[in-house]
Amino acid sequence: MKKFFLEIDNVTFTASAKNKVNNVSFQIENKGDIICLLGPSGIGKTTILRTIAGLERIDSGKITLNNRVISSNDTYVEPENRNISLAFQDNSLFPHYNVIQNIEFGAERNKDKKKNLNINEVIKFLHLEHIKDKYPHQISSGEAQRASLARSLLSNPDLLLLDEPLSNIDQNFKEEIQVKLKKILTEHKITTIIVTHDSYEAFYLGTKCGIILDGQLKQYDDPYNVYHFPNSIEVVNFLNRGTLIPAKVTGENTLESLDLGTIKGNFIKHYPKGSDVKLLIQPEDLEHDDGSNLKLEVVDRQFRGTNFIYTLKTPSNLMIPVFVHSHHIHQHEVDEKFGIKRPINIDHIVCF
Amino acid sequence: MFFKKINIWYLSSFLISLIVAIPILTVFSSFFDTTGNYSIILKNTFLYEYIFNSLVLLIGVLTLTFLIGVTCAYLVSFYNFPGVNFFKWALILSFAVPAYIYAYSLTAFFENYGTAFSILKNIFGEANYNSYIPKFDGMTGAILSISFSLFGYVYVLTRASFHYQSQNLIELGKNLGFSKKKSFLNIILPSARPAIVAGLSLVAMETLSDFGSVSFFGVSTLTTGIYNAWISFDDLALANRLSFYLLIFILGLFILENFSRKKAQYHTPTKSGLKKKMLIDLTGRKSFLAFSFCALVFFVSFLFPVLQMLYWTISFPKHLVDLNLIKLFSNTMLLVILSSILLISLSFISNYGNRVTRSKLLGVLTTFSVSGYAIPGIILAVAFITFISWFDNNIISFFGLKTIKSIFIGSVFGLILVYFIRFYSLASNGLKSGYLKINYSIDESAYLLGYSKLKTFTNIHLPYLKNSMLLIGILITIEIIKELPITLIMRPFNFETFATTAYIFASQDLLEAAAAPSLFLIIIASFFILITSRYILKD
Repeated sequence: MKKFFLEIDNVTFTASAKNKVNNVSFQIENKGDIICLLGPSGIGKTTILRTIAGLERIDSGKITLNNRVISSNDTYVEPENRNISLAFQDNSLFPHYNVIQNIEFGAERNKDKKKNLNINEVIKFLHLEHIKDKYPHQISSGEAQRASLARSLLSNPDLLLLDEPLSNIDQNFKEEIQVKLKKILTEHKITTIIVTHDSYEAFYLGTKCGIILDGQLKQYDDPYNVYHFPNSIEVVNFLNRGTLIPAKVTGENTLESLDLGTIKGNFIKHYPKGSDVKLLIQPEDLEHDDGSNLKLEVVDRQFRGTNFIYTLKTPSNLMIPVFVHSHHIHQHEVDEKFGIKRPINIDHIVCF
Repeated sequence: MFFKKINIWYLSSFLISLIVAIPILTVFSSFFDTTGNYSIILKNTFLYEYIFNSLVLLIGVLTLTFLIGVTCAYLVSFYNFPGVNFFKWALILSFAVPAYIYAYSLTAFFENYGTAFSILKNIFGEANYNSYIPKFDGMTGAILSISFSLFGYVYVLTRASFHYQSQNLIELGKNLGFSKKKSFLNIILPSARPAIVAGLSLVAMETLSDFGSVSFFGVSTLTTGIYNAWISFDDLALANRLSFYLLIFILGLFILENFSRKKAQYHTPTKSGLKKKMLIDLTGRKSFLAFSFCALVFFVSFLFPVLQMLYWTISFPKHLVDLNLIKLFSNTMLLVILSSILLISLSFISNYGNRVTRSKLLGVLTTFSVSGYAIPGIILAVAFITFISWFDNNIISFFGLKTIKSIFIGSVFGLILVYFIRFYSLASNGLKSGYLKINYSIDESAYLLGYSKLKTFTNIHLPYLKNSMLLIGILITIEIIKELPITLIMRPFNFETFATTAYIFASQDLLEAAAAPSLFLIIIASFFILITSRYILKD
């Protein structure tokens, strides 16, 4: 039987009587993997981290870390004996110690272990130099979050749990910290579970992503697959990355849509000819072509820096998103007609 | 799940809460006991007088403390006038004067041939001034004494509420074109209402439990009724029955106070929302009136009893010489130190137990047990003795063991145990409010950094709460120095404190002899109040 670094086996995570994530199973295969859990607010993501850390107990299932059962119906290892570190989303710094003393609390743990992170290096990468001597009430929530992250990183845990670690951090620092955080986690092989509601953060940091919706772990897969091959309508809606339009399967590689005509591509799942399906159209699936005879009405245009996302209205009032590179020669205004290149070819066809 | 929560912290907290709850349970259980004939006599004679007197006393004290407390708080919070910074803290010195000592001073000053008479005689020569000097005795004396020693509760809480009241709220009133009077009545006062009600509830509870001053003035209230039922008629069951009625009344007030305190939280702005209030400079007549009012309250509530006691101490040095000051001081401090250690350490265990287990049952039991502070000291002492007697007669004798009465009754140990029950809420709530400032994630962070529960307690909580601990210790000290009925009933034979010595002399009509212990009591309590005034005024 294959041994996993962390195994969550059929565990129900209970945040409250009404708010549960039921029968969750997933594994972290290797030491040093980074897992991201995505889901809307209040769904129970934090509860999952708290339970793995040992701050909540479980009634069913089993959690195994490094071949040791740490939580089950009859086993419970106290949080202080798990060597798991959790960086909380809110300020959890000790209020009567300054920032550097707080961080040193982390460094003190497991200080005999080899491959320790350098405290100064962590302080520098998290931009904490100027607040080292300040007390928690004297710093901003973003700074507190970074200090808390530093403390957790330096504690050199077997498993690091990060709860929305960058949620309060300024946008200008965020991307830089994301890059450096990933580098540190990977270089030091720190196995990590990150909870976030930012899908881009999850896709960048995670070697695997879990999507939690409606009290269930809906999908657990590589970020690419989660994005391109969502396994349910709920995941599509959560990622908000496309539109489902009605279509009929007309052959091995073709579909027919009332609004878009013939669509070709590779089905990721087999559907019998003649089936009525809902086809996922993602913004990058359609191409703009001013010369095309398939014209749709522009109802909105969002500038996203590197590209525009046009929202187009079909004759049957469906709203379809389309990417256009922002260097495109001209822009289309609302109410104008917008051409879609034909024939439509989609690399992988996702239907439900 | 329930049994998983039970650990050493849970059991300790449960046990502590249970000990504190004993008197409440005893009083409630007494409802089923049979009482002696005295209960029938009492019902036909004095019971309604007791209730009537208690109500008159309560209404009188509440009215007076409301007027004095709110006016002082309003003046020092919103206006600038000569001496305002002095009055802010000086007005809380009234806490150092227990109502019974105020009562002695009032009588000593206004009685026939008393201090007032002597002053008039020295200034204007020999004459019959007695008929012109007003007499403050009986109910009037009791109302005045209790009011001037308790208005501080209303003052401190209302002032805190005014202090944290948003400047925006006041500016809003101005913006709407409100006059100062309309702003005060429609905005400032209603928003401070929960604090005022909280202060008045504390005053009400203390008034109903007052024993020293009402017994000195010979006013029969439910509290003196309880004392009489027990001491004069040896009817412990009736004493408990009367306690039950009083307790129901007080629990009603307690719930009201608790309710209003919860509401009061809505008036605490965030750190960023607090804008420094613009004080209004008073000039001329208004400035003089504001100064005069505060000066008068300070004089009447604090300087007057101090000067009166000082005057008599100097006038009758023999009593001072006869007083064994070292013994009284060491006895008082022994009680203070032992009680503080017991109260703070057990409150810590109980609070931490509640925090660690997060058990609802434990939470309910703790809330129930801290309501002990609403129980008059006299009831606590009687209920404690009742319980020990019952336990001794039924449990101890059942096992054929030696009686334990002497260990608990008439001993320092028993006295400290009742102090513990009486002041447990003060210590427990004080620590609780300190703990409320520590987010749960702080504890959890410590666990996740490898700290055990005990290490989290010693390395994280203790250093953080050391100021709270010090403050609680001092508040306990002030309360114990002033405490009278419990000490009177529970103390060992010939074991006296400043409070009991003053009471015993006063009850023998030797007021001039009561002056020296009273003065020392006020001085020591004032010292502790002054070193904590910064905290008392802050929170």
